[in-house]
Amino acid sequence: MNVPIKTNTALSENRRLSDQMYITLLVASVAIGLFLIASVFVPNFFQLQNMLNLVTNNWAVISLGVGVTFLLVSGNFDLSVGGIVALSGVLSVWFAQSIGSSNALSSGLGLPYWVALLGALAGAIAIGGLNALFVVKFRIPSIIVTLGTMMVARGIAQVITQGSQRNTNLPDEFGVLGSLKVFGTSMQLPVVFMGLLLLAAIFIERKMVFGRITYWVGANPVAARLSGIDNAKHITYLYLFSAAIAGVVGILLSSEYQSGYSNRGLLMEFDALVIALLGGIAIAGGFGSVIGMFFGAIILAVVTSAATGLTLSPDWQYILKALAVFLAIVAQTWALARRNK
Amino acid sequence: MSKLTRFEVASTTLGGQVSQFLRNYYIYFVLIAIVVFLSLTNLDRYELFERGNFLYERNIINILRVSAPILVLAGAFTLLMVSGYIDLSVGSTMGLSAVIYAMLAINGVPFLAAFAITTLCGVLLGTFNGLLVVRFKITPVIATLITLSLFKGIALLLVMDGVSAIKSMGDLKMPSWFNAYGREGVLLGLPMAFWVAVIVTITLVVLQNRSLLGKYAAATGGNPTAAKLSGINTSKVVFVLYAIVGACAALAGIARSSFMSLGDPLSGDGMELTAILVVLIGGTAFSGGEGRVLRSFVGALIIMTITLGMLTLVPAYYQTLVLGAVLLGAAASNHWISRKDHAS
Repeated sequence: MNVPIKTNTALSENRRLSDQMYITLLVASVAIGLFLIASVFVPNFFQLQNMLNLVTNNWAVISLGVGVTFLLVSGNFDLSVGGIVALSGVLSVWFAQSIGSSNALSSGLGLPYWVALLGALAGAIAIGGLNALFVVKFRIPSIIVTLGTMMVARGIAQVITQGSQRNTNLPDEFGVLGSLKVFGTSMQLPVVFMGLLLLAAIFIERKMVFGRITYWVGANPVAARLSGIDNAKHITYLYLFSAAIAGVVGILLSSEYQSGYSNRGLLMEFDALVIALLGGIAIAGGFGSVIGMFFGAIILAVVTSAATGLTLSPDWQYILKALAVFLAIVAQTWALARRNK
Repeated sequence: MSKLTRFEVASTTLGGQVSQFLRNYYIYFVLIAIVVFLSLTNLDRYELFERGNFLYERNIINILRVSAPILVLAGAFTLLMVSGYIDLSVGSTMGLSAVIYAMLAINGVPFLAAFAITTLCGVLLGTFNGLLVVRFKITPVIATLITLSLFKGIALLLVMDGVSAIKSMGDLKMPSWFNAYGREGVLLGLPMAFWVAVIVTITLVVLQNRSLLGKYAAATGGNPTAAKLSGINTSKVVFVLYAIVGACAALAGIARSSFMSLGDPLSGDGMELTAILVVLIGGTAFSGGEGRVLRSFVGALIIMTITLGMLTLVPAYYQTLVLGAVLLGAAASNHWISRKDHAS
């Protein structure tokens, strides 16, 4: 066979920038460029508060995006995160609600608050375990598995809330976490959680063996296995982490709204996937970065909030989202093809 | 030429023949088992064919009427999956078609013209998917995720501000025939929409078994490189299949729109999930190469029977959980069946 062996161009040609950094920079400059363009057309767009809002309003999706990004890099989908957000939120409420109300929806298990939180987190991680079991052990395509577990997770949430929500008989401390102001600033705990998570993820991705293994597993599973990497174990960890992140997001959201709502996080899995794709993460695995995903989220946020600022009908956001993803994918493919000509 | 899919493995031993028979026809037994189970659950209170029991005539007719959209879509979706591709935009195509169909009808276009124009729009939408996948070489999942968003946005924009769907308002009245396609019994008490689904399915079964397109679809999904090297124009096959799926999604939209008497842009939401569920139940391999149109039709009947039949037993909020569990179960059993084949 005279098929040329594909080598890492960054290594073979000794470029200063790897393809990955190149794409990430491209995504970042598109995000900044879009922001500047929007600032010209949309009144009051170019303000510090607005820049902050673009990030802080999207803390939940960006946090979910971290887990989804790592999994995509390893060559796997995770569409279950939206369902897990609903499940862990509903579980935390149900566990914490006090016992003995006549109304079925106001009567919970009456567990201490911290036990309720741990229980909710355990429920979330259990769904992650289910993902790993089906993907790794049964070798079923991850997109099917996580669609199924998304429905199972949301389904359990719907059964517990009887298709609606639980928001009564909660202990006083329940609403604290989601709206806690850190260090007396206006920065809320969920946003801090997102920030720390991003920093940790970037560090793991760039500097730790665990992160580098993720790329190998995604780029060439067979080679990874032959080099002594336990792919199954690695993907299992990734699913557990992703589910745990979604669990925390669900708990924080239910605390912020002081309710466990079975439709919370609806379609969040698709938004997390979309920002990862916008951020240049290849669906085939082995390529992409958390920073790219972050700027992908900024692109989406700028597009949708600019549309709102221009008082376009909210219906436009679907078309704008479609256009953004299409252009991002085509531009990235084109840029890479041009560079590696 | 003998064709051996994983369901039709030749076997000589008696045990092998029995297991082969089960493998080929298990889906029919599953449907029968579910129907029997649902018929027996309320037997202590109602007679077998009495109102209140599952086998009550109106109940069966109603289930088949409501199922018309997924029944008409399942076959085309199967052929696309057999060729190794997927269309996540079917729900949005359905919603957009429902809106177009209702808009045509409310503005005085006669039934057949509205029907034809909407189906043609479906073909165009499907072709657009094909364009993204084949010409722009975007991964099917991403490409159809893009059009999912795009078609939904167009459908929402077509509906006037302030209302959620196209329906009779003020001077604009829905024509009296609008309801008939999805509701009025024409044969055996079943409406046109159901019989169109049957006709489409029969056509696709013939297409899959007797035409080159069916063979090429399987070849493309089984081994794309080999298919290309043997001179099959895989791009063209994929294009045609996306167009067929678009047309069938439009037919589904017409059926849903007619049944509900309105053009709701969100009426197809979640259809992609139902379609995936149905073809997996029918034993279609997600990675392509294997799958049968008729089995997906039966799979659609199973899913709709479970969904609607369940309502008499448990509250509606159990639906998502049960369907999710069925999806995982179907995926797992597909896996075990195919692993057995590889072992033998």
